[in-house]
Amino acid sequence: MAVAGSVKAALQVAEVLETIVSGCVGPEGRQVLCTKPTGEVLLSRDGGRLLEALHLDHPIARVMVACVSSHLRKTGDGAKTFIIFLSHLLRGLHAVTDKGKDSLILKNSQTHRRHWKNCCQWKRISQALLTFQTQILDYVMDQHLSRHFLSIFSSSTKERTLCRSSLELLLEAYFCGRVGRNNHNFISQLMCDYFFKCVACESGFEEVFDLVDDCFVELTIGVTGLPVSDSKINAGLVLCRDFSVYCPADGDIRIVLVTETIQPLFSTSGSEFILNSEAQFQTSQFWIMERTKAIMKRLQSQNVKLLLSSVKQPDLVIYYAELNGISVVECLSSEEISLIQRIIGLSPFVLPQASSQYEISNTASVKFCKPLILRSKRYVHLGLISTCSFIPHCIVLCGPVQGLVEQHKDALHGAFKMLRQLFKDLNLNYKTQITDQNYTSSPLIYKNRESNQLPEIVNGSIQSPHQGTAVRKEDELAKPQKYLKVYSNVVVPSGELETYISCSTPKVTPADTYQAGETLRCLSANKTRIIDDHDSFIESDPTIDSTAEHSRIEISHENLSIIKFARKGSMLPVRYKSLEMGTSQSYYFSSISAGCVLPVGGDFEILLHYYLLNYAKKCQQSETTMVSIIIANALLGIPKILYKAKKGKHSFPQVYIRALHALQTNQPMVSSQTGLESVSGKYQLLTSVLQCLTKILTIDLIISIKRQPREIYDQESEEEL
Amino acid sequence: MSRLEAKKPSLCKSEPLTSESVRATLSVLKGIVTSCYGPSGRLKQLHNGLGGSVCTTSQSSALLANLSVTHPILKILTVSVQNHVSCFSDCGLFTAILCCNLIESVQRLGLTPTTVIKLNKHLLSLCTSYLKSEVCGCRIPVDFSSTQILLCLIRSILTSKPACMLTREEVDHISTLILKAFLLTIPEYTKGHIILGKSIIVPLKGQRVIDSTVLPGILIEIPEVQMMKILPIKKSDSLKVALFRASLCGDLSDTGKGTVVVNDGLSLENAVLDQLLSLGRQLVSDHVDLVMCQKVIHPALKQFLGMHRVIAIDRVGVALMEPLSKVTGTQPIGSISSISPSSYGSVKDLCTAKFGFKWFIHLIPNKATVCSLLLCNRNDTAWDELKLTCQTALHVLQLTIKEPCVLLGGGCTETHLAAYIRHKTFNEPESILKDGGCTQTELQLISEAFCSALESLTGSLEHDGGEILTDMKYGHFWSVQADSPSVVNWPDLLSRCGCGLYSSWEELNWSFLRSARHPFAPQPCLPHEAMDSANNLTVDCFTAKLSGLQVAVETANLILDLSYVIEDKN
Repeated sequence: MAVAGSVKAALQVAEVLETIVSGCVGPEGRQVLCTKPTGEVLLSRDGGRLLEALHLDHPIARVMVACVSSHLRKTGDGAKTFIIFLSHLLRGLHAVTDKGKDSLILKNSQTHRRHWKNCCQWKRISQALLTFQTQILDYVMDQHLSRHFLSIFSSSTKERTLCRSSLELLLEAYFCGRVGRNNHNFISQLMCDYFFKCVACESGFEEVFDLVDDCFVELTIGVTGLPVSDSKINAGLVLCRDFSVYCPADGDIRIVLVTETIQPLFSTSGSEFILNSEAQFQTSQFWIMERTKAIMKRLQSQNVKLLLSSVKQPDLVIYYAELNGISVVECLSSEEISLIQRIIGLSPFVLPQASSQYEISNTASVKFCKPLILRSKRYVHLGLISTCSFIPHCIVLCGPVQGLVEQHKDALHGAFKMLRQLFKDLNLNYKTQITDQNYTSSPLIYKNRESNQLPEIVNGSIQSPHQGTAVRKEDELAKPQKYLKVYSNVVVPSGELETYISCSTPKVTPADTYQAGETLRCLSANKTRIIDDHDSFIESDPTIDSTAEHSRIEISHENLSIIKFARKGSMLPVRYKSLEMGTSQSYYFSSISAGCVLPVGGDFEILLHYYLLNYAKKCQQSETTMVSIIIANALLGIPKILYKAKKGKHSFPQVYIRALHALQTNQPMVSSQTGLESVSGKYQLLTSVLQCLTKILTIDLIISIKRQPREIYDQESEEEL
Repeated sequence: MSRLEAKKPSLCKSEPLTSESVRATLSVLKGIVTSCYGPSGRLKQLHNGLGGSVCTTSQSSALLANLSVTHPILKILTVSVQNHVSCFSDCGLFTAILCCNLIESVQRLGLTPTTVIKLNKHLLSLCTSYLKSEVCGCRIPVDFSSTQILLCLIRSILTSKPACMLTREEVDHISTLILKAFLLTIPEYTKGHIILGKSIIVPLKGQRVIDSTVLPGILIEIPEVQMMKILPIKKSDSLKVALFRASLCGDLSDTGKGTVVVNDGLSLENAVLDQLLSLGRQLVSDHVDLVMCQKVIHPALKQFLGMHRVIAIDRVGVALMEPLSKVTGTQPIGSISSISPSSYGSVKDLCTAKFGFKWFIHLIPNKATVCSLLLCNRNDTAWDELKLTCQTALHVLQLTIKEPCVLLGGGCTETHLAAYIRHKTFNEPESILKDGGCTQTELQLISEAFCSALESLTGSLEHDGGEILTDMKYGHFWSVQADSPSVVNWPDLLSRCGCGLYSSWEELNWSFLRSARHPFAPQPCLPHEAMDSANNLTVDCFTAKLSGLQVAVETANLILDLSYVIEDKN
């Protein structure tokens, strides 16, 4: 059966999901209880988990859930906002097309044809969305939004040092949306303490984030039956199993890691052991015993007090370990082994082949090794001495039920993911187009550059055809209403900048003339208004330019590596292509630098809304304008929900008007909320949603197949061939 | 070939608590737990319709473990109570009832969950900080130099489990035994922190409770036939013991992943038996008197050892290995070909004993913190209940060592706490309201709901239709028998309060627990003379009750916060 894919269907699906997730969004959100088929119960406010737990049937819903989970894998945050924003966008699109339907497709009586027509329209819109996402969004972020950004690093010093108070604000806002109302303060304090205990030096915190994010499961211990407030941080590493043998030891304690049984076996896999006589059997058993004894003796003489094994060791090994005062922990998982290896940089101990040489080099020191009892269950507690910038600590999470402990565990893990993202620079790049009149000036610049970067063109050439066609398509689809923007080139190092500036003057004039022609062709009634708009914009241009230039140049010095990398990529070949087309594009590379934050509670959304509307006002392309307006309005959906329960001065309309007023008069925005949130996270969310929407819009037909999807085995098919 | 099966969509319900069926199931669960509470609680008989054992109980751990709960919300509640019980052994019913009461009483108010949860948390922290503070009027410090309070604690636990079917004398006997067993696990000399030993409960069903006893060391049950073979041992000051972890039955050990080819006519069993016998010779030449093995000993080896007057006991089992190695000071041996002399241990003496119809070998240690509690009761179900109760009592004693104080039992702590909360929220609401977000009316409503949840918890101690009163000075719990004349002099009807601390001869004012009272400040700081005079108090474990209170409020908050339930139907 085939069903026509439509915005309406998608909207219905999204709205159903929205009602569920909007119940748990923000600080006022509530919990959702999920049961697993195994009978376990899980508490959650995590949007991704909820969507997965629903096991949705509807094909469009499945597309959405897939998009959300791929977004979550990347950033670890924003699933609920994703759904809310998506449904607002769909609602906006739906409203727009409903209105325009009569005029657009009045003549088409046949529904079939109407459907195809609709699809063409959706395709155009989706392409406009793509254009928006790749060009306009980055432009607005970089040009307008970036001056509102705050940084999580303390500004006083040159080096990047994390400011505890701002980290606290960030985490508190994060946990507000993730854990129960009573616990978010406690959990965010716990996480903050944990982080600062784990970081050895100020500079190495990225490494800590990577390690904690990768090995989070091994670094937390869940304990049920105790109140949440009993959760604590333990110095050292806690392993979720008991000692097989425990011999109390102090002083210099050395440990070894083993991944195989220490006792030699009769035969290893692939070999054959032939027994000829009983005496031979007895001697070989004797030899095995003697050898085990010798290895354990040797370990003892090296001061080894603890044997960590990934496999179960035979009774004989356990016996000799106890005789030699060596504690044994068996059956460690490979993740635990690799975590220990990462922390202390110790490789597993390889059993010597020849019986004479027992040189054991792979040992490491630990501060202590003792049993730890948490609610009458015994754990192994190791005081590892770290060789990296991570000082090992464990979080012991308590809660009355497993479901709650799991929730806190997930939230903490998500927070580490979020922070890991926050401390990475996020590249922004966008282009503006320059018309044919001034293309002659452009090659001058390229030639300069080409001489520098000739060998690197090969890299970028893969990308270039694609981008080129995208540009061309856009040319075909959108009416040739090229809008001119003149900005200084960001990337050009100072030497080239002069040449560029010299040619920036002619650029303005042709732009003017072009526009004049354009407006003449434009037969709409609001002609004068458009001209007015543009005039004012061009007037303001030089000032923006100059300020932009200064800031850009600074950035280009700071982020030299980024620029280099970016240039390697798409820039050169595309320009080369655009030369042929008669238009050239200038590419701008910038980044949302690591640690950028904004106050929580819809600040990002309101700011972007404001600037997008401004942009749309100045923009002439009808589709871009429409898309920008739809996106701008959809953005407000999130603060609307956040302020739903608030009354009076803190109600949404009041907050919104105050914010707009502040922006118009260039005053700082005053936020009622104290928390912070990551800008790059929000930005990534926005792009993910737009990508998801494009995906949904480009589907015209959903065909359900009765046959079970067969898994494709590559290897088998090769064999058959 | 694996089959890919499409997952069924889940069921999503909004606002689960408002549904009538959920309320009904909650009140059924509440009915079950409430009726079990306290010394006069009613027993529940749990049985499977297809046969099998029948369990008669009034304990939360046995009850909830056997009850199959399907609704996710009830599951959260029962799982959280079970987790609490597995941590603290005691106060499971208290937690369950309080949680049910809180949900019920708060729901009636119809306030938003945000306010309810926030205020509940404030009230909880008010309770915990009061209970932990020095001025707390319902906490008694434990004096370890006398057994009085400890015995009271054990007796309170025993009497609150009516399914044990104990008479008054039996309660006294068992409480002394439990205390004795506990004291035997405390090491005499310690440096640094104390490591408690272990008391092993040995079952003896079908005997009189009075026959129960406690013995230092370990009792190992052996069949009567084997008992005959054990000859009286030559007397020396101590006996040498070897304890084997490895199996001595003569099977081949793990030969690895490859193949082992055995030539014709070669008997590996013989080879291993030769090894075993040479091990026997070594044991004999080392003058070992007693050989114990976790697994099986080969009969030939057993016979060889018997001939040389060495006692062999096999199939000891993994549970006894740790206490055995502790008692004897041995290292469990994992090898069958060579034994280091340092792995032998010793016991002071060994004797055989017959309790009821069972034969035991009794290992008497030189000095060790392991003892055996031989527990008797008339039938299986009563024995199971008694065993659980003894474990609870032993655990509670351990918790009391860590936190040396107890709370007043018999409902007095709850009524006292309710009076304190009422007084506090009525007279000093500013401290709670200062962070904004809720009004004074909301606070009054929630605190009333919280206190009535606590008070109706104590109300469920009374199952025989009696009335419950509280005094206006200490805020303690008093109960009157049913159908007593309505207008009388209260002191004539009441004798002692629930915990037994105060008698009615004092000049007190009483009021019905259900009626409205003006908030009053319950008298803080227990008077010393009152504590000394009363030797038969009802007291509860401090740690368990405090954590039960916290868990109950946290769980109730969790359940009240639910906006959706998503049920996976796969």
